[in-house]
Amino acid sequence: MPDPDHGASPEKGQLSPEDIAEFKRRASELGTRIESVQAGKQAEIEEQQDRANRSRGMAYGLRMSSELVAAILVGGFMGYMLDTWLGTMPWLSLVFIMMGFAAGILNILRAFKRMQAEIEAQKDFHVGQSVPDDDKDR
Amino acid sequence: MPDPIHQFEVKRLVPLEFFGIDATFTNSALFMVAGVLLSFGLLMYFSRGRSLVPSRLQSVAESIYEFVAGMVRDSMGEQGMKFFPLIFTLFMFILTLNMLGMIPGFFTVTSQIWVTAALALLVFFTVIIIGFAKNGLGFLRLFVPEGVPIYVLPLVSLIEVISFFSRPLSHSLRLFANMLAGHITLKVFAGFIIMLLGAGGAAAAISPLPLLAVLGITALEFLVAFLQAYVFTMLTCMYLNDALHPGH
Repeated sequence: MPDPDHGASPEKGQLSPEDIAEFKRRASELGTRIESVQAGKQAEIEEQQDRANRSRGMAYGLRMSSELVAAILVGGFMGYMLDTWLGTMPWLSLVFIMMGFAAGILNILRAFKRMQAEIEAQKDFHVGQSVPDDDKDR
Repeated sequence: MPDPIHQFEVKRLVPLEFFGIDATFTNSALFMVAGVLLSFGLLMYFSRGRSLVPSRLQSVAESIYEFVAGMVRDSMGEQGMKFFPLIFTLFMFILTLNMLGMIPGFFTVTSQIWVTAALALLVFFTVIIIGFAKNGLGFLRLFVPEGVPIYVLPLVSLIEVISFFSRPLSHSLRLFANMLAGHITLKVFAGFIIMLLGAGGAAAAISPLPLLAVLGITALEFLVAFLQAYVFTMLTCMYLNDALHPGH
């Protein structure tokens, strides 16, 4: 039994067996409570990250598709204008649409390279699911 | 079901005409003016103290400045700071308009393809003018990648030219498509709530589900509003960097 009057009792610093048992019980209870709160928080953080990553994925997807579509449209338009000017109707359009496709792939490759550089610049910027041992890979 | 496209309708507020050019003041123009005044006013108000140790609001303005300045320095180096006024203006303009669009009932200017196209063309022509002014004909090196054999060079150059001209299109499409898609999704999900409530019975009981979805999408849209302003600015930096250093 802890004595409020320090130093007065001859068994100072001594605890009764019941007190020790109570102490251990509370300590282990606290441990499980901390663990459960941490687990909840971890899940929450992961979910938040996941949601943010999904929206980033969406943004990157739209970015890539707009690169491809834009290049094909511009290629087709250039071919069409040249065709109407030179009077070679479908041929140059066809060639330029193919070229536009190639340009679109080039755009995507470049955009991807930029994206990769961005991610490497900010290491904690995870695209996709985060893995528990991510920080060991740094 | 409420029409999800209705929110993008441009309404004529004050009809104006200069020399045969239709310059009607529309709701789109109104929100652009509001966006300019708001971003300018807030930044001026936040930094009015001009103290060495910033107040809370001043540090908000400073962190926006630092954010854009960091972006410019990272992509173009110190000499890119010459373009800082342009880039910062673009960023604040788009960010303010995107955020204004998030307020219910407000018009989202950046969901108009003509607005984003005008912004992208501004960047595009700036790149061309700066490119030729800085490098002369050397700017054309942009279309001649290094280490390409001479016999495929015409083909590669053609592809590079198409890639170059596709920039303003993808630049404008991205901002426009993101804002448009986000706002339509919001409207459609919000429409579900009303439809389910109107149907009554068991259908009304599940009406909180789309409400939750709307809540989530709204949060997501705020992220997208910021992210798209960032992406637009980032790409502007990349393109301007090409104007400064045309060799890849």
